[in-house]
Amino acid sequence: MPAEANPAVLQISDLDVYYGARRRRRQALDGVSLQVSRGETVGLIGETGSGKSTLARTVLGLVPAAAGHIRIDGEAVAGYSRRQWRTLRRRGVIQYVFQDPLRSLDPDVTIEDSLIEPLLIQGVGRTEALRRVRPLLQRVHLDTELLARLPGELSGGQRQRIAVARALVTEPELVILDEPVSALDSANRVEVLEILKQLRAAGVALVFISHDLGSVAGIADRVAVMYQGRLVETGPTRQVITAPQHVYTRLLVGSAPTLHSAAADRAERAALRAALQHV
Amino acid sequence: MTTLSELEAPQRTPVSDAAPDQVVLAVRGVHIHDHVSDREIVHGISFELTPGKAVGIVGESGSGKTLTCRAALGILPEHFAVSGGSIDIVGHDIAELSPAQWTELRGSTISAVFQDPASYLNPSIRVGAQIAEVIRVKTGATRRQARHRALELLAAVQLRNPALVYAQFTYELSGGMLQRVLIAAAIAADPTVVIADEATTALDVTVQAEILDLLADLQERTGLALLVVSHDLAVVAQLCDEVLVMREGQVVEQGTTAEVLHHPQHEYTRMLIAEHEQYGLERYLHSELSAEVGLNRAG
Amino acid sequence: MVRRVFALRTGKLAVGILVFIAMLAILGPILAPHDPLGSTATTLAGPSGKHWLGTDYLGRDVFSRLLAGSRASVVGSVEVALVALVVGVIPGLLSVYLGRVFEWVSLRLADTLIALPFLVFAVAVTALLGNGITQAMFVVGVLVSPLFFRVSRAATLSVARSQYVELALISGASVGWIVRRHAWVKVLPAIAVALAQTMGVGFIIVSSLTFLGIGVQPPAPTWGGLLASDLNYLHFQPYAPVAPAVVIMATVWGCNLLADAIRDVSGENGRALVNSRKARSNRLAAQPLLVESSR
Repeated sequence: MPAEANPAVLQISDLDVYYGARRRRRQALDGVSLQVSRGETVGLIGETGSGKSTLARTVLGLVPAAAGHIRIDGEAVAGYSRRQWRTLRRRGVIQYVFQDPLRSLDPDVTIEDSLIEPLLIQGVGRTEALRRVRPLLQRVHLDTELLARLPGELSGGQRQRIAVARALVTEPELVILDEPVSALDSANRVEVLEILKQLRAAGVALVFISHDLGSVAGIADRVAVMYQGRLVETGPTRQVITAPQHVYTRLLVGSAPTLHSAAADRAERAALRAALQHV
Repeated sequence: MTTLSELEAPQRTPVSDAAPDQVVLAVRGVHIHDHVSDREIVHGISFELTPGKAVGIVGESGSGKTLTCRAALGILPEHFAVSGGSIDIVGHDIAELSPAQWTELRGSTISAVFQDPASYLNPSIRVGAQIAEVIRVKTGATRRQARHRALELLAAVQLRNPALVYAQFTYELSGGMLQRVLIAAAIAADPTVVIADEATTALDVTVQAEILDLLADLQERTGLALLVVSHDLAVVAQLCDEVLVMREGQVVEQGTTAEVLHHPQHEYTRMLIAEHEQYGLERYLHSELSAEVGLNRAG
Repeated sequence: MVRRVFALRTGKLAVGILVFIAMLAILGPILAPHDPLGSTATTLAGPSGKHWLGTDYLGRDVFSRLLAGSRASVVGSVEVALVALVVGVIPGLLSVYLGRVFEWVSLRLADTLIALPFLVFAVAVTALLGNGITQAMFVVGVLVSPLFFRVSRAATLSVARSQYVELALISGASVGWIVRRHAWVKVLPAIAVALAQTMGVGFIIVSSLTFLGIGVQPPAPTWGGLLASDLNYLHFQPYAPVAPAVVIMATVWGCNLLADAIRDVSGENGRALVNSRKARSNRLAAQPLLVESSR
């Protein structure tokens, strides 16, 4: 559970982001404010195009913000130059895990070299980097034998665990995970989720991006729901799931496939969809 | 919004070529063999579909669920062959079908919807024209009639502006809309059986629910028989009367949905259920599945 | 990658041909049994023990002239390829990173160069700069460079947009780091393909120019020049153009084979190709089984 006294590792306020050049300009984020405390796990939920990935990319400095403030580990990063970004990133405070580990690992680079890359960029020596990487493999339940292999020689589940391990080498305060388990089958999904739970227990803050409320329900302390570029609802996971306020959140809760869905839900969902047209 | 019940009666009602209790798709002890690795991939699967019934197959990738579907459609990839058991479609053993009979059967009796809708549609032809073509080939309708029927179908799959969608290309439509177009094409010739192989996997949950609801609607209104394949037990449970759980080509569990959910026999099924209870919404919704939640959801 | 090229039969053949041609270029003038410029009384003689490929209209030994002429052709085509490489690849890589203005200007320049017919242009330049194969080849190299520009730019672009490059950026990597660690390996095979292809094009151009008598003064032997002089005496020696034509064709073919082989084995496609061959051999092995089961 989030400790209120902890200072925020990430603080976003009134963030506006636009995409496209002049005429085709389209607002991707509209006045988004979100705070992630140390050691907290936040589920960021929204459909395709809702702006959840854009939010993550803006926080990482890959997309420029038009207005608003972002504080990472106390540093206000709005208006940072390339060089300043590089210095901040090299501290390794924030790391990112993509949905598809096959594309987020260079196919021509061995697992070992992919893992130590963030450390080498920081200027850590190769031997020292390797020494630090080994215990991480245990943390993600993988064998050191895999180090010499190429990503293509690993299974999907192994690759995703490598991607998680890579995000941990710099001992980050915050890891942003973009749909980290949706490409995995049940057994691997449970395994990756277990690893993430241990991370949370170790005090690492996690932002878990997904289109499915169900996939973050078991791990998130707090849930933030995005719809059409706006944050429409935030709250403790239990509260958002059991007492959703916004129409879209209600549709989300009603749509998540559960083992006990009843046929009667269909009419409710149809009504919510109709209601969403007028929001 | 137009629903299928409001559609004009098609030339041929789907139930007409199958009485309500007639088995429309029977898979009996089917084994599938891979001639490249010389291994058996599916070790015996059996189930029966009657009109209005839905059977679901759950399993991870490589469990043989997709091969089973492909076998039922007669489109097994090269080197794979049914090496045991039999498949009957509306009383015809598919092993004895000629290519011409297959062509006759596909679309008008059995059709399918797959995971990646964009790859099943031609990107340079307007989607409406592609549906109309299916209708013309399968029913011999005139251009005019086919267009009219295609528009009806697009409305039936709850696309908001059928005339607009009719004239659009695949790249102008979202994944959920494309999947709906594909469903419209799949039901264009009033098939008796539709196979949905991971049809909602690539979609957002809200869109997934919409597609599943649409399939349930069609099933109720037209007596369509559904074979639903997914890696998610919940998706299958939501739609189906009977569930098969597959693992490494073996059916490890088979029974009515309620039986499988409440009295799972196999360890793997228990793991699938535990995953949902532990990490899914169930944890919150069903620990306190009370009037309170019901109220909130209805409100 | 080199090992994988050799694993292909076409790769071995291509390298074999090119090594042979390269040896000719280095050792040819030494190996030549006769003075390529020395004329004898026996003009237009047929092939014999003394003159393997006969003699030409001035009684010079054709075989010796063929060997001696290889150097000009090889050096010329290598020059084309290297000039094109340097002029094309560097701006190609940089156009991705150096901002919009550089990108726009370099793209338009490449378009312009593509529009110029290089053979005609080479003729015009030699007229301006004096008759020399080096000048002509330099100009041709510059005119062929858009190929390298486009190839290296496309490869760099696809790498620059990949997730692993984004992850490296998030970890604070500099542009130099990304080029060294990620981009370079992916750009290399594409450039190797272009290089082998350009060598082939270079050969044709050198041969065409020397055929027209441009770039090399008449008594000096070249393959194109040989072909040209043979044509005048077709009447007496109908087979004469065959020998120079065959060496030119073999060399160009070797270059193209090598380009194909490199393309086939590199990157995702390469792996797919190797896999598909494996699958095909498995399929052939499984064929009897299939026939049996279908009965």
